[in-house]
Amino acid sequence: MARTGHEGRSEKQGRKRSSQPPLLEWISAGVGLLLTLAVLGALTWEGLAGSNGAPPAVEAMISRITPVRAGYVVEIELRNRSSATAAAVEIEGELIRSDGTTATSTATVDYVPGESTRNAGLFFEDDPRRHRLEVRALGFAEP
Amino acid sequence: MASRAASAHPNKKYAIGLARAFGGAIIFGLPNLMTMEMWFLGFYLDRTRLVLFLLVNFAILVGLSRFSGFEETASVKEDLLDALAAYGVGVIASAATLAVFGILLPGMSLGEIVGKIAVQSVPASFGAIIARRQMGDKTDGEKDDEHDVAERRGAYGWQLFLMVAGALFLAFNLAPTEEMILIGFKMSPWHGIALVLLSVLILHAFVYGVGFAGQEQPPEGSGFWRLLISYTIAGYGIALLVSLYVLWTFGRLDGADLTQIASITGVLAFPSAVGAAIARLVV
Repeated sequence: MARTGHEGRSEKQGRKRSSQPPLLEWISAGVGLLLTLAVLGALTWEGLAGSNGAPPAVEAMISRITPVRAGYVVEIELRNRSSATAAAVEIEGELIRSDGTTATSTATVDYVPGESTRNAGLFFEDDPRRHRLEVRALGFAEP
Repeated sequence: MASRAASAHPNKKYAIGLARAFGGAIIFGLPNLMTMEMWFLGFYLDRTRLVLFLLVNFAILVGLSRFSGFEETASVKEDLLDALAAYGVGVIASAATLAVFGILLPGMSLGEIVGKIAVQSVPASFGAIIARRQMGDKTDGEKDDEHDVAERRGAYGWQLFLMVAGALFLAFNLAPTEEMILIGFKMSPWHGIALVLLSVLILHAFVYGVGFAGQEQPPEGSGFWRLLISYTIAGYGIALLVSLYVLWTFGRLDGADLTQIASITGVLAFPSAVGAAIARLVV
């Protein structure tokens, strides 16, 4: 019964609602506006401060060496100092023993996004801490 | 007491609409949220093109709010509020889902995180805004309003707009995948022509078979040829343009020659045409 009365007014209420949206609508729209501006702002800022065609610059650093059953794991941190993304980044670690012989291990990382870090690992049989170990990023492809 | 009840009621109703919007955002967002090409695009997509696409998306949201937002709208102001809320829902739903998947991690740069969310927010906000019509049960009052909405939907301009929205949504879902280019390579020119004809045929079947929302009869003077030209061919034109625009946004046309552009666009125009065709049913 009460329902019928309510629906009789629904037309007017509809008009009224259009001039005064519920509080929750203002709150959600406000949150939406903040998020919209935040996303647009961050992307625009990144676009303006962006690479301007500068190529990716990926550095490889040893972050940790862990002995495991089959040898040693050398964990590598790749840091891209440019804002351009590097894809298919190949890294190589070269272990140089005191007698001049070397052991080489490589790994490939799918993506190192701009201004970001990614981690990878290389396996060696000898303890890299007792020999000289050089790691470097060999190359990349454009995404 | 009575005034309190009156002010609590619309808020509660709106809260239910918001919950539906989150549901819609997840449903429409999931195929992209669980596609790795979409995550990668988040960090390497050209920023100017991404921002432009977000603005286009927002305009589409405002337009869609005209006849299917999660609140009935009577003014442009409300459409704007509706679109903002839907975009907010899209961002929150995308960010939450990506975070749970472990795609967003603390060590990542702000650009990477925002980019990943921004790409996903497009289909998610689309789902949020059309959720009401898809999931809402309608009261009698809403059915009355539906009549007005249906009349609005009947206008030719809106029909074209709906086709743009539908084409954009499906094109956005498919354009990032490597398969678009691969299919282009696999097809001979004859396959390409067959695909174009198939696209037009499907589009026309929907235009002709589904009829026109809010109208008992097709628009006056609309014989077979009239419908074919003003809806089907116009719709396929929209599908082609939308495909071209989405491919450009994703950088798929960079360095491609004219024949390659034509073949990829033709491939993507197929789902775009289907999207344009079914938009009137879904939205």
